[in-house]
Amino acid sequence: MNALKKFLVRLEGVRERAGAVLSMNRRNLHYIYTRNERRHFPLADNKLIAKEVLMAAGVRMPVTFRTYGYFYQLGSLGRDLERYSDFVIKPAQGSGGSGIIVIVGRKGRDWVGISGKVYTLYDLKKHISDIIFGVHSFDLGDHAIIESRITQHPDMQELSPLGLADVRIIMCDEVPVMSMTRVPSRQSEGKANLHQGAIGVSIDIASGMTTQAQFLGQPIDRHPDSGIPLLGRTVPFWPEVIGLALRAARAVPLKYLGVDISISPDGPQLLEINVRPGLEIQNVNGRGMLPVLEAAENGGRRD
Amino acid sequence: MAGSHSGGKKRAMYIAVLAIMVLLPIGVTMYKLYVLNYPLAGLIPEPVYKVDLSMQVDGHGEDIGIHTYLPKTDSRQSIENEQNSPGIFATEIKSDALNREASWKAENVHGQQGVNYSYVVHAHHVRYNIPADLRIPDAYPASLAPYLAAEPGIQKDDPQIEAELRRIVPVEKPAMLDALTRIHRHLQDDLANRNFSGYTDALTALKLGEASCNGKSRLFAAFARKLNIPARLVGGLIMQQGSKRTTHQWVEVYISGHWVPFDTINDHFAEIPANFLTFYYGDLVLFKHTANVNFQYTFNVTKKLMPQREAQAALSQSVLNVANFYAFFESIGIPQNLLKILLMLPLGALVTVVFRNVIGLETFGTFLPALIASAARDTGLLWGIVGFLAIIMVSAMVRRALDWLQLLHSPKMAIMLTTVVIVMMAITVGGVHFGLFELAHMTLFPIAILAITAERVALMEAEQGALKVVRITFMTLIVISACYAVMESFFLQSLILAFPELLLLVIALNLWLGKWIGIRVMEFLRFRRLIMGAPA
Repeated sequence: MNALKKFLVRLEGVRERAGAVLSMNRRNLHYIYTRNERRHFPLADNKLIAKEVLMAAGVRMPVTFRTYGYFYQLGSLGRDLERYSDFVIKPAQGSGGSGIIVIVGRKGRDWVGISGKVYTLYDLKKHISDIIFGVHSFDLGDHAIIESRITQHPDMQELSPLGLADVRIIMCDEVPVMSMTRVPSRQSEGKANLHQGAIGVSIDIASGMTTQAQFLGQPIDRHPDSGIPLLGRTVPFWPEVIGLALRAARAVPLKYLGVDISISPDGPQLLEINVRPGLEIQNVNGRGMLPVLEAAENGGRRD
Repeated sequence: MAGSHSGGKKRAMYIAVLAIMVLLPIGVTMYKLYVLNYPLAGLIPEPVYKVDLSMQVDGHGEDIGIHTYLPKTDSRQSIENEQNSPGIFATEIKSDALNREASWKAENVHGQQGVNYSYVVHAHHVRYNIPADLRIPDAYPASLAPYLAAEPGIQKDDPQIEAELRRIVPVEKPAMLDALTRIHRHLQDDLANRNFSGYTDALTALKLGEASCNGKSRLFAAFARKLNIPARLVGGLIMQQGSKRTTHQWVEVYISGHWVPFDTINDHFAEIPANFLTFYYGDLVLFKHTANVNFQYTFNVTKKLMPQREAQAALSQSVLNVANFYAFFESIGIPQNLLKILLMLPLGALVTVVFRNVIGLETFGTFLPALIASAARDTGLLWGIVGFLAIIMVSAMVRRALDWLQLLHSPKMAIMLTTVVIVMMAITVGGVHFGLFELAHMTLFPIAILAITAERVALMEAEQGALKVVRITFMTLIVISACYAVMESFFLQSLILAFPELLLLVIALNLWLGKWIGIRVMEFLRFRRLIMGAPA
């Protein structure tokens, strides 16, 4: 009898927690389709357009050095890059961190990537022409962006020694709903992508404190490579981080967004916005985000 | 709140469309079933046999001729989709009132040469009831005279046969049923079956007290003719899955305007099963050929299930029937098969939607599994999957090789497509060479599908890694198999052919699934820790 009662109580809990999970179908139907009009998708999917709109609204982002959209422009690549030794090459319409090369220095006539890999001018030309050709994008044809590399705030560098960590905040109707930071690991090869083996660390929206962490689907409390504790840390410039996310959310007509921010020593900079932010953030936070989303909706309606 | 007002309107519209898509097809279907009396039983598929006759000779420079009888379509059996692969031989086919003769001739034949002739047989089981009081007529029309006369193998006037007949049927002027029953029982029960492929005439069968099918048939015919019942021999094949060289003979007697079959090897009295195929009537030899050419033949029989033809034909007669459309499509050269594929595609897409949105499997594209499944109808599911995997492997391997060469994207894709085409051709040629004809149909795998698959696979591997491609390939295979099972279901095919309006129901289901916001099965797994909660 007692066991049955226990079971029913447990079942009730399962039902409640399952009801709190934002599913893919619900996300698409109730949040993405109703809040983000299709014609505004390029604002998020194309980093060139996003940068233009967001920077005009006063959102701080990395400085664009150059963009390449045509093969004939590659002729001057050597001259163009001569004076830069610290930059990032990325496709304007890439996804999942694909097609990104991070350069941290020079070695003779060549460039050195963050992993220590050496790139010749030919390598970079080939990479950029692949980007222009659309190899890393959904559409045919794309632009390559060359922009300043963000150096991390020392606190973030301590948390994430193997690469640039980003802070993802889900914004719904201009309310921050859930947050995490994605920390590259040896497994993810420097990429801040959870599916490729980056560490997800949840951040409490109110305090900016890290609360839980997950690596390859398992809960952890220390960095698997450096051994450093991941929990109970405060993300630097947290009020400014939230402020930047809000400013970005208000600058675009997209009302359900994933905002990706990195924190440099002098404050947060926005990396990109995403119209189809993933659902894994719920696993990282250890709870479903539907209750908070519904509260955010109601908040939005009262305005 | 303008937004919520238009939202309410949208919702009302949605419910209205959904209601129409549900009620309209159900209404039309009910109308057809209850007012037009559509036969539902006709939707159950029935067996057909594909018969593949292959004949081989060894030539040493001589002229060679092969002669055989081909089955004819009649009220009991229908022969369709005939395909003649004569090789070096010239074909001649002649037909008379009874039989259809085929001969293949070639001059100066060297080495092993062959002829393949295949067709699809669709035959019925037939059983006759002979009234007990029916008398044996005294006279028949002149045209039946040959079936009452003595022949070299049917020695009906031989005294021994006459004496034996008197012993079996001792009555004067017996009734038809009584006489035939006595003859049938005697040949079936008292004469031993002998598995002997040579020629036995009626008298020899009688003397030996044992015979194979042809001996028993001749003796039956001799007895019948002696009693003034017209009788004729029938040569044919018992169709069973597999390959065989043994043909069969039985006998037919003329009763009240019908030729009624008897088989005293397999004890079929006035009946004939659906798997009996008639080749010819008369005391004839099935194969004739030039001497000393090492003539070999085999019948390969494959049993398949097919939708009932008659039911479909009957449907096309009735009013308000879309089956009439089929005739229209056929008149402009679009075969019903293609139409069937077209009509089944929505079901395949629906299956894919369920797998993607309710179960949560990822696939290459939304329509690709349904398209691959329909492409696999010519090859069968197994070879379809083999072909699909071959495309994926070739695409992935070629992409790696080309990446190493560092080429631009479009030329790379063009090379990949070319390689895929070459591999498909090689598979086809290999299939023909090793006699795997299902495999040979691989060329029919629509090339557009291949191109899409190849490009998607290559892109995905470049962007998300080989592991992801393997995962999605595996999930796509599951969905392809499910699509195949649904799209190749003869019941569903017949159902959709008879009631194409049910496609609106497919739209209704998709409308409902399009608003379904539940958690996918795979998401339960993904968020299981979160949902089950940590044990407190």
